[in-house]
Amino acid sequence: MTLAANSPTSFPPATTQRRPSPRPRRAASASTFGISLVTLAGLIALWFLAARFGWASPLFLPSPADVLTQFSAVAADGYANGTLLDHTLASLGRIAAALGVGIFVGIPLGLLMGLNRWVKGIFSVPIDLYWGLPPLAYLPLLIIWLGIGETSKVVLLSLSTFAPICFAAQAGVRSVPVERINAALSLGASRLQLFTSIVLPSALPEILTGLKIAIGAGLSTLVAAELIAAQSGLGYMIMSAANFLATDVVFVGLIVIAILAFAFTSGMRWLEHRLIPWKGKL
Amino acid sequence: MLRIRDASVTFPASDGQDVHALDHVSLDIAPASIVVAVGASGCGKSTLLNAIAGFLPLSEGTITLDGQEIVAPGGDRGVVFQKDTLLPWANVLDNVALGLKYRGVSRGERHERSRHLLELVGLADFAEKPPYELSGGMRQRVGIARALATDPKILLMDEPFGALDSLTRETMQQLLASVWVKTGKQILFITHSIEEALTLGTTIVVMSPRPGRIVARFDADFVRDFAESGDIGPIQSHRRFIELRQEIRSLIHQPEGARTGTLQ
Repeated sequence: MTLAANSPTSFPPATTQRRPSPRPRRAASASTFGISLVTLAGLIALWFLAARFGWASPLFLPSPADVLTQFSAVAADGYANGTLLDHTLASLGRIAAALGVGIFVGIPLGLLMGLNRWVKGIFSVPIDLYWGLPPLAYLPLLIIWLGIGETSKVVLLSLSTFAPICFAAQAGVRSVPVERINAALSLGASRLQLFTSIVLPSALPEILTGLKIAIGAGLSTLVAAELIAAQSGLGYMIMSAANFLATDVVFVGLIVIAILAFAFTSGMRWLEHRLIPWKGKL
Repeated sequence: MLRIRDASVTFPASDGQDVHALDHVSLDIAPASIVVAVGASGCGKSTLLNAIAGFLPLSEGTITLDGQEIVAPGGDRGVVFQKDTLLPWANVLDNVALGLKYRGVSRGERHERSRHLLELVGLADFAEKPPYELSGGMRQRVGIARALATDPKILLMDEPFGALDSLTRETMQQLLASVWVKTGKQILFITHSIEEALTLGTTIVVMSPRPGRIVARFDADFVRDFAESGDIGPIQSHRRFIELRQEIRSLIHQPEGARTGTLQ
């Protein structure tokens, strides 16, 4: 940057030379992607070999070909009162409902808890208390109260997605740097403007992190709930297959759940990239 | 005119001994002047600025701006912080326009005014960039432009160049001097650098810690020369500059020495 020593009226514009290149970061993520792909291929190859040379009985480890055949059979003809799509949609529907409750109740309540001492005082104790309990421990109670139908499952899942989202929203509000608030106030922000233009966007990274945790918690609770009391869903399908030692169908169920989990993770990563490309930058 | 009368700020401390961060300070800041408060850490200079900004309530005394008492932060006092407080999700232009947006100025008008200010601070080509792609010095320039955008009555600057390297710092001092000449804003500038205080201030107040108070004030007029020549060298070798620097230095170091003397 040159300093124009004899031009008091126009300050020298900054040169464009200081433009950080995004290349190093991209290169790093590309290289791990390749390595991960090789790992995945290696695992599948190992599975092939184990089945091919009979390292384990097909009862314990069905061959990839068997699983693939079973996959199309379950997809077309169904298993345990429904096709693979039926079970997948049943599970997805439950988790979507639970995430909806978590987002539409958890985010506003968490924000309020971060902003207001009274709201925090009233709600933090009950949430802390139930969040410490394993969901499967109070599932029987929910079944007694709400019956064995969809309600008890959706409530169980909602409880497991609600808390992490609510905590995250609350932590997001608390994490807003005080200087940022002061800066907005000295620019003349009203309370509402302060909330919408500063607090909410500042809390967004934490809220998205909470959403990721909620999806993980939801998925694990979902399958567990369907293992115990359900007439449909991927967990139910796996449990039914296990009762008949149909290990290949168990594998099919596991693969679908793994794909769902991967899709959720990728979706969240995409969402973070779109909504908060600035995360951790300033 | 900013009028500070008998302003005190006392913090309760855990050992029961209250900390007098600011002890009966009185000071006037006239229009079109740059008042620089200089002193060692803990002398209350940042406390003074925070009280004027409205971030911190006074325990005693009053601060008025054009006759109106200051009780809360407000858009009539622009603040430039040591650590930049730009919003990472908005580009440089929208950051500068933030205060205008709060005032309900239309999008077209606030962008036009903000582009103007970015030109003033030499960042016209960076309007669309996110702030995190800018260097520390550039971010502070955006901060200055943002504080000026709402045309505040006074600009409060809390060690704005303290975190910058010395070369960037000199550039920024020149920028501020030229901005001041062009806008004629009244400015309160906080620093711990005596050279910076003398280079920029039309009035320099020297503060001392425990309790935080003003121990001396000097008038200086190097800033106009500096804005005109852009060269810090001849100014800093000016005889009067050297004398004042020596005097302020001994004022800042004296109480510290006296205190350790009484302890021993």
